[in-house]
Amino acid sequence: MNKDKDLINENTPLEEETEAATEENTAVAEPEVTEETAAEEAVVAEAEAEPVFEGFAVAARAANAPPPAFKPSKKKKYRSIENLKSRYGIMFTMPWIIGFVIFFAWPLIQSIWFSFCDVTLSKDGVVTKFTGLDNYNYFLNVHGEYDKWLSAALTSILYSLPIILLVSLVLALLLNQKFRGRLFFRALYFIPVIIATGVVVDLMFMTTSDELTAAGVSLGITDSMFSIEDVIGWLDMPDQVAKYVKLIINNIFDLLWSCGIQTVLFIAGLQAIPRSLYEASKVEGATKWEEFWFITFPMLGSVTLLVSVFTMVELFTSENNTLVERAYAMMDNGVFDESSTMLWIYFVAVGAVMGILKSF
Amino acid sequence: MDLLRGRRSGNGNIKKLLAKAPQIDQRTRKKLTNKGVSIFSYCFRILILLAIGYIIIYPLFYMIVTSLRDKQSYYTAATVWIPTSINPGFNYAKAIYSMRLWEGLTNTFVLEIVAALIEVVTCAIAAYGFARFKFKFKGLLMAGLFMTILIPETMIIIPRMVNYSKMDFFGILGLFDMLTGIDLRPNIIGSPLAFYLPSLFAMGLRSGILIFIYIQFFKGLPYELEEAAWVDGAGPVRTFVSIAVPSSGVVFITVIVFSIIWHWNDTVLASVYVKGNYPLSVHLERINMTLAGQGFYSSNVETQSILMAACFLFIIPMLVFYMILQRWFIESIDRVGITG
Repeated sequence: MNKDKDLINENTPLEEETEAATEENTAVAEPEVTEETAAEEAVVAEAEAEPVFEGFAVAARAANAPPPAFKPSKKKKYRSIENLKSRYGIMFTMPWIIGFVIFFAWPLIQSIWFSFCDVTLSKDGVVTKFTGLDNYNYFLNVHGEYDKWLSAALTSILYSLPIILLVSLVLALLLNQKFRGRLFFRALYFIPVIIATGVVVDLMFMTTSDELTAAGVSLGITDSMFSIEDVIGWLDMPDQVAKYVKLIINNIFDLLWSCGIQTVLFIAGLQAIPRSLYEASKVEGATKWEEFWFITFPMLGSVTLLVSVFTMVELFTSENNTLVERAYAMMDNGVFDESSTMLWIYFVAVGAVMGILKSF
Repeated sequence: MDLLRGRRSGNGNIKKLLAKAPQIDQRTRKKLTNKGVSIFSYCFRILILLAIGYIIIYPLFYMIVTSLRDKQSYYTAATVWIPTSINPGFNYAKAIYSMRLWEGLTNTFVLEIVAALIEVVTCAIAAYGFARFKFKFKGLLMAGLFMTILIPETMIIIPRMVNYSKMDFFGILGLFDMLTGIDLRPNIIGSPLAFYLPSLFAMGLRSGILIFIYIQFFKGLPYELEEAAWVDGAGPVRTFVSIAVPSSGVVFITVIVFSIIWHWNDTVLASVYVKGNYPLSVHLERINMTLAGQGFYSSNVETQSILMAACFLFIIPMLVFYMILQRWFIESIDRVGITG
């Protein structure tokens, strides 16, 4: 069979036909079937082309046909380079796939399952008893305090997210431009990236946030002049806005310190915008402001999405919020079912908020 | 002044072009030759940057200064930056003792740093597979990858802990147990394996985002080099090791920095999967309790100094690490194209 096909291929008069056939050979994932069809096509082509000038066909083959050594070998193992590469791709990703199943997908399913169950610990691991929506019902209707934890967690995410995005974008814009001393400022501004992802921040800001803000912002020299309240009073803000502004200023260190990695991501995004766009707009006479709104801002769309997802996940797992803390405490005591339920309600709520935000 | 000169000389070409194009109006001309940009705006920018820089660096200064303060200095109102009396010896000795510095450091290196380095390597391999090859179900697997980024580790930490107490691979060992009655499933909670195994399968701490960074970078690498190696007869492993890896030092720096820092600061996984030999971060997290046990309650003024001393001790290794790598790290950010 193999030899026959080789012969057919070599005798094919029209070069285009062979090329099409080999292309099909290589491109399709299941070569077993396609090769046969390709061979059939080749036969048909030969039959059709028989009466045409033999000499012309030979000349064309001599000029264009690749030497026989480069033809895809007909051994089953090395059928085509695409095929081989797909095999290598699976080889490279195999560890990840195994890890994904063992350490992510399966635990995820278990976690959902636990949230619908009554879980008890025994010698052979865990024993689960399906109880339906009882756990969910308990937290949403009976528990009483869960609503408060949930709303507190959601509010803190909602007020932190826009300000973190805004601040990190501004920092990225400032640091992305070329000026003297840029390296120094970058080194300085990335220090929070190093420190701010962990327990140090929790410790510092949990115990000293007010004190820090007091010392850094409103006390000291400014104390004798004016305070935040005065400024808010002068500007005559609505109550809600005033509350928000106060919240931000009171947490300014905390917020600025959690902007580190977001700034890094934004800078990388800014670097990816092609220079030619800016040059074109410059020639057209755009101002810097127009440049920002019509080039930088739209081009950052995907990075903004990435950064907001990342920030959401960061804020979600931050141990400062009561809900996650309680869930961990319950887990330490071996209560796996209700802690799972707590986290899943929380996750679905955050997901819903994210979905709503994304639709804007 | 030489700043202005630099701008002028840099705009020589534009000026020549403008001379040949009289139809361009005055406003655009001005903009193109950058006459509007002066030393004033430069100073303005530096001032803004310094102001924000002050806010960013302030907590660090606060930490250092507070860690040096003596108890007495809290009772003099004049102390703002320079304490009237310092007592670093006492504060730091107490901090080292109560956060069990040496023990914690050893554990951090054995557990976290090794896991971080394993993760850096395995994530690169997985990402290379995703970025360079086409295969069946790739779209599905990529969706899985995004799920690992989107769904926080918090959500699956409970079943993971349950599974780790009887570690099994696809139920093979469980089946063996059912057939022969010999239970081979190891309990890996409390052993370094609880950290090494996920890292070995590219599922460690925030591996998803690291793989994502790698993929973005590998996609941007010129394919011709690898193709050439391919044609010359190098296998995929050879191509990866001697072509792809040497030309992606930039992304390796970024990923190493992120991975090591996240592992260093991690407390959640460490406090769940480790029993007893806690790394430094967990000791630091619990230092409030430890101090209270020794009679230093959080209402005492000197507790604050000890806390800050402990925090500073905790970040010193990371600061040094950053100082060493910062030149490459800062430059690398420009070149690692994370475009989402």
